[in-house]
Amino acid sequence: MKASWMKRQQYLGYLFIGPNMIGVILFFIIPAVYSFYLMFTDYKFMSPHTKFIGLDNIQRMLGDEVFYIAIKNTLLFLVSVPVSIGLAFIVAVVLNRSVYLKKLLRALYFMPYITSGVAVAFVWMLLFHPNNGPINGILRSVGIANPPGWLSTMETSMYAIDIIWIWFMLGYNMIIYLAALQEVSGELLEAAKIDGARTWQTVRSILWPLVSPTTFLLLITGLIMSIKQFGIIQAITQGGPGNSTTVLSLFIYQNAFRYYEMGYASAVSWALFLIILIFTVIQWLGQKRWVHY
Amino acid sequence: MKKTRWIAGITSLVLIMGLATGCGNSSNSSAANNESPAKGNGATSASPVTLKMWGGVPPESGPQEVIDNWNKEHPEIQVEYVRFVNDDDGNLKLDTAMITGQDVDLFVNYTISHASKRVESGLALDLSTFTDYNIDEKMGIDAESWKIDGKYYGVPTTKSPFFIALNKEALDAANLPVPKEWTWNELREYAKKLKTGDQYGFIQNMEPFVDPIDSVLSQEGYAKADGTSNLDHPLVKQWLETLNGMMKDDKTTPPLGEQLTSKMPVEQVFLSGEVPMLNIGAWLLRSSNNFTDFPRDFTIAFAPVPRLAEAADDYVSRGGLGDYISINAKSKKQEAAWEFLKWYSDGGMSPMAAGGRLPASKDANQDDAVKSLIGDKSDSYDLDSLMYVMFDNQTPTYVRSLPQEVMDLRSQEYEKYFLDSQSLDQTVQAMVTRHNEYLKQNK
Repeated sequence: MKASWMKRQQYLGYLFIGPNMIGVILFFIIPAVYSFYLMFTDYKFMSPHTKFIGLDNIQRMLGDEVFYIAIKNTLLFLVSVPVSIGLAFIVAVVLNRSVYLKKLLRALYFMPYITSGVAVAFVWMLLFHPNNGPINGILRSVGIANPPGWLSTMETSMYAIDIIWIWFMLGYNMIIYLAALQEVSGELLEAAKIDGARTWQTVRSILWPLVSPTTFLLLITGLIMSIKQFGIIQAITQGGPGNSTTVLSLFIYQNAFRYYEMGYASAVSWALFLIILIFTVIQWLGQKRWVHY
Repeated sequence: MKKTRWIAGITSLVLIMGLATGCGNSSNSSAANNESPAKGNGATSASPVTLKMWGGVPPESGPQEVIDNWNKEHPEIQVEYVRFVNDDDGNLKLDTAMITGQDVDLFVNYTISHASKRVESGLALDLSTFTDYNIDEKMGIDAESWKIDGKYYGVPTTKSPFFIALNKEALDAANLPVPKEWTWNELREYAKKLKTGDQYGFIQNMEPFVDPIDSVLSQEGYAKADGTSNLDHPLVKQWLETLNGMMKDDKTTPPLGEQLTSKMPVEQVFLSGEVPMLNIGAWLLRSSNNFTDFPRDFTIAFAPVPRLAEAADDYVSRGGLGDYISINAKSKKQEAAWEFLKWYSDGGMSPMAAGGRLPASKDANQDDAVKSLIGDKSDSYDLDSLMYVMFDNQTPTYVRSLPQEVMDLRSQEYEKYFLDSQSLDQTVQAMVTRHNEYLKQNK
């Protein structure tokens, strides 16, 4: 009697996760498997003839100069993640103490995260304008005769995007850190104080290690989110000038939805998946060294 | 124990019923959908056919007026206009709608490469099945470039001239005549003479920016006889050098990097009188007729787009016909769509001229079109040069037909050149290499 009840309950469980699972299967698992198949075909959206072409797409990808540029740009873009996390930690530590206008400042830092991406893009384009923008205006007024061209040169455009992205993510990272810092027990801090620890020492040896699981979480989610990000770049530069801001996700988007090269885009998507996987595995292996639970 | 089981049973039953009714509902409603038109036909035989036309022009810039006119005269065929934004996403939306069999009866193609993709996948109806309308005769020789595999899969409905818009007063002040044909070197001199202080003498809309190259290669071929890329044509180099000189040495036109990243609103810059020359197309009229948003105190004159080669003989300019309207091959209302399309092409589209789209058909009333083109602002245009670039210029034309991939790889490389990231030779070399790669890939 009891065993059969348990068994039935199991089936009932499937019923409850059913609605959700159907969604995941229809809109995630099947497309993912299908894209794996597409990788080996020359499928173009709308084209009536599709044939199996084996590894041609992968070969093409490995010989495609823009693919390597896109990988390089993606790595440059990812630099923004640790930088943003570091800054967010500092800001959170400061805002966690008694500061004037604490609540207002918290709200201000979080503003970018809830602002529309397109609006953000246009504001930054104005700010970064090489001749009339306020950023270069300030740089000139403090005596820098030739300030960088930011978005308008091949060499600086990716860094300009990084700056925007750091600013964008800062608020979210800060809020998560603030939550983690509230959890830190006051006794530890008090004990440290009695032992004569300076602020810097407290932050370094108590706060930082104690919030390390949060740092780990932010690092993994941040990297995954950034590696997939293309909306903000599409809105600001469309991958230009030249192809200096074409990151992998944008490269996939262009191939799939601009050129309708679905087969090739699938191949690059799986390459992107591999890269994300490698990053995540490295982090999981590395976490033992610095994450303290 | 028993009770819990009972509750669980009920719950699952409810869930299943929910799912079942969910499915049931949707099938019911689709059945109802299928039924209703049939019922309608049975009851009142005059129930109108409804056509859906997909186009990229905002309804308020002409299309709404066009279909309102039609709908008034033709109660039996009602047309609805659906706007898609003519960019990657918008075209994808249209393609998806057609592939998945949604109601699209007529659609507008804005480039040959989009049109031919749709033809290839069997979405555009071969119009030679209709024999009562001779497209060649109506639209003239320029229609020829819209033939796909020798057939018309749509009607090219508009004339879309490209030109250099000029500030007549600024030209007069510098003692420069309005040219009827000229070269890029001459334009460069004009720009130098017209430049005042820190201002530029010449700006370009990004759409026709690369046209000088296409003007050459549409004639000489994008590929050489041996099948390799022709992007190292000497005139391509000349174009790169001329513009680069204008950007960096003369400082008469904005550096490309600055223009791109600031998304320079060139129409506004020109219409405010800041810069006296603008390379653009007929859609400028949409803004230049609008004195509320673009107040203007000068007369606009028009010149043809200059050529790269010294000799005028082989020159072709971009333009010709546009707005290639196709009938969905899967549509069940093709006859009705065809009736509408004929009416539209033969002048029904006149209200579109307000947005710079002149009817191409010889049967359309050009005076009406010109009237809605310049409206009550005719004093603010130099009419002689306007009529010349719009109608009288006999220079042969071409329609851009290059695949998007090649357009993109080309622009990526010339951007690097104009931004000083690579030399002229490297640029040409890179374009050729990547184009060859593309040609090999798409043999």
